[in-house]
Amino acid sequence: MDQRQQIEELVYRSSLALDEGDFTGFLQLCDESFRYSVTAFSPEIRKDMTWLDHDKAGMDTLFTNLPRHNSDHSPLTRHVTVYTVSSTGERADVVSALQVFRTTLDGGGTGLFAVGRYHDTVKLGAGAPKLLKRVVRMVTREMGAGYHIPF
Amino acid sequence: MAKNSVAWGAKPKFPSSHYVDSRIYTDQSLFDEEKEKLFKSSWIIACHESEIDKAYDYRLFTHPTGVPLIIVRGEDMKIRSFYNICPHRGNTILYDPAGNAKRMTCIFHAWSFDARGNCIDISRGEQGYQDRYCKEDAALREVKAEPGFGGFVWVNLDDASCTLKEYIGPALDMLEPHMQEPMEVFHFHKATVDTNYKLWHDTNSEFYHDFVHYFNRITGMMQPGYFDRKYVGYANGHASVGSMEIKYDAYAGSKKRAVGWPGLAPGGWILIDIFPGMTYNLRTSVLRIDTVVPLGPNKLIVEFRGLGLKSDTPEQRTERIFDHNTIWGPFGRNLHEDLLAVMGQGRAMHEGTDSRWVIHGREENSTIHDEIGMRHFYAEWSKRMGRPAYDPFREGRQEPARAVA
Repeated sequence: MDQRQQIEELVYRSSLALDEGDFTGFLQLCDESFRYSVTAFSPEIRKDMTWLDHDKAGMDTLFTNLPRHNSDHSPLTRHVTVYTVSSTGERADVVSALQVFRTTLDGGGTGLFAVGRYHDTVKLGAGAPKLLKRVVRMVTREMGAGYHIPF
Repeated sequence: MAKNSVAWGAKPKFPSSHYVDSRIYTDQSLFDEEKEKLFKSSWIIACHESEIDKAYDYRLFTHPTGVPLIIVRGEDMKIRSFYNICPHRGNTILYDPAGNAKRMTCIFHAWSFDARGNCIDISRGEQGYQDRYCKEDAALREVKAEPGFGGFVWVNLDDASCTLKEYIGPALDMLEPHMQEPMEVFHFHKATVDTNYKLWHDTNSEFYHDFVHYFNRITGMMQPGYFDRKYVGYANGHASVGSMEIKYDAYAGSKKRAVGWPGLAPGGWILIDIFPGMTYNLRTSVLRIDTVVPLGPNKLIVEFRGLGLKSDTPEQRTERIFDHNTIWGPFGRNLHEDLLAVMGQGRAMHEGTDSRWVIHGREENSTIHDEIGMRHFYAEWSKRMGRPAYDPFREGRQEPARAVA
């Protein structure tokens, strides 16, 4: 498998893990210094906003606490397409299109929930590539009741 | 024993001040009346002054009655508000939700207006109107606008309304010492949900629903002082809940917060509801403001703002944002739970579901799980609507007749 293919597969596997609620599997794809954030630009206040920002331990805690909360249990399906991969030796910057679909439990109707992009930084090396950083850049800002599991 | 239809429809065994007829949440005619009798003459938060910081900065706001408004800062730095409706052919003048416009020009026929509401140009005016109609005839409709109570821009559609100061009265006194430093909005998002606006405001008016929030149970309900928090009702339907110290470190992955807020005890929390649908929620390091924009009996937009201090260092701002997002962002633990809960009410209570009553019957010496906050709101609602919330159609019957799905 060439490097580009390995990187693409990492991005796709991370989405599959989140879709399946396999949070341990997701975190295994992340480096120890992993940083995850969700950001958006608000045309209303004309500012960049951060909606979520955690290191790897923070993401682990977020996932661990999930069963203690009341949450929308409608499953999400992430559709990701890797657009660009820019490698610079030990790292690669990856930009992917992201669409998130939400399917109702009662009836199974599916609707578009959010669109945006993944801006990933991938650590390259001897072993399998790992996610160093993921910035989910949201285009959608209106998500009704929101959601407890990040994209 | 489960109830049959007669028992289900019977009035609750409480004084009439302690329950409401659920049709106040579902009836279209009542909703239309609320817009006229409650929202039109109330002072409503349209935005914060930090959103229109410079001369000619503007912000759009759809008033809860449906009227589209422009909030604009003039060259004299005074904030004014106008209908976002061109007096020519009724078109929208400004489209982007915020911006800077020295001239506000309607894209349709290029009529232009200044930040004082004057029409400054009618394209090919003389050729078409000769001396029958001129710029002076084409001014914008101005609406009362006044910054206050933390720098929020309040609007009122009623030219004959009371002043903002009279409307708020002493309701925000508890917060005033904490709103002396200039603030700045760092977060804004809207949530459109299928529920009635009053159900959202109810959720901000009672803390018994802390049972839905794991975070609040662990960091609040299980901590000393929680059950001492008291509700105070004020004139015009406003209400407040006193402070307590939140134990943030009781939630796994959370910790004591370092930034705090001027004058507020560490981990402090003050919440004040402003009739008919705004909430000041100051918690530890962030001020959150909710503004309801009802779209129908069972359709609501809530505008959420998060504010910090204008003087924040980048590190302080980062911590405030973290605190905000932990519970209140679109991915926050509490906001999602609150919105799910009121959507559940909307689902169970919309027209035709045979929901009958909503009970506000808890009495606990006005403390945190007392439902006096909602009772206070509905006393004002009944007064302004000229209808008792427990019997809005004055039927006085035991079993309201209505369509059952």
